Amino acid sequence: MKKYFREISVAAALGILLLALAVFAPSFFQPQPLLSLVTREAPTLVVACGMALVIICRQIDISVGSQFAVCSVCAGLFAAMHWPLVLVLAASVLIGAAFGAFNGALVAGLGLPSIVVTLATMVTWREGLRWLRQGVWVDLPNGVQWFGLPQMTGQWTLVLVALAILILLALALKHFAIGRFIYAVGSDAEAARLAGIRPRLMTFGVFVFMGALTGLAAMMNTIQSPQVDPNSGTGLELKTIAAVVVGGVAISGGRGKLWGVFAGLLLLACISPALTHLHVEAYWEKVIQGAIILLAVVTDGLRNRRKSI
Amino acid sequence: MNTDQHGYKSILLRHETILFVVLAVEWIFFDAVGHNFGTYDNTCDILRHSCEIGLLALAMTPVILTGGIDLSVGSLLGLCAILFGKFWRDAGMPLPLAAACTIGVGALAGGLNASLIAWLRLPPLIVTLGTFSLFRGLAEAITHGVDTFTDFPASFLFLGQERWLGIPAQALVFIAAVIFFWLLVHRTTFGRSFRAIGFSPEGARYAGIPVGRRMAMVYVLAGIVSAIAAIIYTARLGQAKADAGTGYELFAITAVVLGGTSIFGGVGSVHGTLLGVAAIAVLHSGIAHALLPGEMAGMLTGVLLILALAGSTLPKMISGLRARKSTPRLAKQIP
Repeated sequence: MKKYFREISVAAALGILLLALAVFAPSFFQPQPLLSLVTREAPTLVVACGMALVIICRQIDISVGSQFAVCSVCAGLFAAMHWPLVLVLAASVLIGAAFGAFNGALVAGLGLPSIVVTLATMVTWREGLRWLRQGVWVDLPNGVQWFGLPQMTGQWTLVLVALAILILLALALKHFAIGRFIYAVGSDAEAARLAGIRPRLMTFGVFVFMGALTGLAAMMNTIQSPQVDPNSGTGLELKTIAAVVVGGVAISGGRGKLWGVFAGLLLLACISPALTHLHVEAYWEKVIQGAIILLAVVTDGLRNRRKSI
Repeated sequence: MNTDQHGYKSILLRHETILFVVLAVEWIFFDAVGHNFGTYDNTCDILRHSCEIGLLALAMTPVILTGGIDLSVGSLLGLCAILFGKFWRDAGMPLPLAAACTIGVGALAGGLNASLIAWLRLPPLIVTLGTFSLFRGLAEAITHGVDTFTDFPASFLFLGQERWLGIPAQALVFIAAVIFFWLLVHRTTFGRSFRAIGFSPEGARYAGIPVGRRMAMVYVLAGIVSAIAAIIYTARLGQAKADAGTGYELFAITAVVLGGTSIFGGVGSVHGTLLGVAAIAVLHSGIAHALLPGEMAGMLTGVLLILALAGSTLPKMISGLRARKSTPRLAKQIP
């Protein structure tokens, strides 16, 4: 109980929010809008899972939003060229992985600080995309939206894919050697090296994986609408970092659980629709999000303080 | 700080010198290629447009020197801009009083960051990520996302749009800030203690430096400077909106890091930051005057940032390889 205090408190906060909504605004629980909400957040969940791995490894990646935009536009263009969707998906994932590899090479290979490297790549990819595409929306051909399935089926597919990735990664983190390696490198890279782990290879791998997940998420986002927005993914990095931190992953690495991240993301995602249903002005969304982030870290700080005294 | 860097060779290889050369090359190139680039009017224009980001970058320098980071300055600029409008238009305050109150709010907001970071020992990245969202959200909530403040008197707009003794009026504020921060960082014990904290907070504490108070000081300063930048921003554009200063924090951080300040703290200079701001501002203006696509400026800034970082790491890496044949370790992460 004490060990999982953070995860449990986030889950409890989410539970209380849902309970309050059930009492005061039962309209929140209509199945169709709820499914739409969850579907919209499915790509974010996939990116947040990757971000959790990166942060557990004591790095950070703020270029995911730009990677997401480039992958979305590329996926849209390939789909518009009538590539088979499987190939489009593979291409999107590969492009994402290539971006991740670029970040990873600079961070792990040259030993540069990840926050600055990804700050630079964030600006570069985003502006590069604007330059090449001039902000044009990509029209998708028929049969791409929801993989050509009925909308309901398509939505469920996306949600289940996101959940499957979450569960697989959570299990892998806990039970596979490679998952434990990520925690080890995040806790203390030097100690991990002495234990026979290759921290730089792990760091590189985590960035590549983050990129691949971003590519997948971009594809999951692309098929939700008939057009691709070239500005998609703006602010995605902060949204996912917020979810990861609220979910109890330590920014100093080596600690955190993916189900905490899941609860954190749901909590942040529910705020905006909850405000609408509780008839509070939607402008308060960011205030509440910021307050939740601060509250989450302050509880951490107070607990650690008590421990150290 | 540069104990191992003596003689002309080390001065030539210093980060600031290289950046100065880059800046000079930029200037000469755009002067040759661009239309009306090197004119006095355009120089004033560059100054005018880089004042707010320059101020934020100046305030960010001590923050990063202590090994911290402040993501909230752009949002705070937005919040202060609309509060300034609110004080003046809705509370009926005279402009100087409104400006003073705005700066007070900036100090308070900086104090919020400071108390969480310095006394609760929370990671600056996360605290300021939270206040980044909080301040912007407050700005949007106060204006309902649509309210804008305009029709400021001409005497106030003078600060942002006119020249005084031939130089843009806000440049005077900026120059004052440059002098203040240069003295603070390079000529006082405060500056020494910022570096000491950046190297090792624990070590600084044992050396008798009040680590908490010094760290609080840099964040409060960042808040005050954000408020001043907000007033200048409002004067330049003649209006205050809730989205003022979106993304400015990233420009400021880019300028500081480009200027040679280590993101891990402990190493850096105010004149480096100044050169970083100038390099970015000249690049943006030059690309516009050379009729190149504006997106190139952003891309080149990113490329320049990576090159600057790699450039400062590679020589160390090579000499390290020669000395010990060992692989370089991963840099410690997250300020």
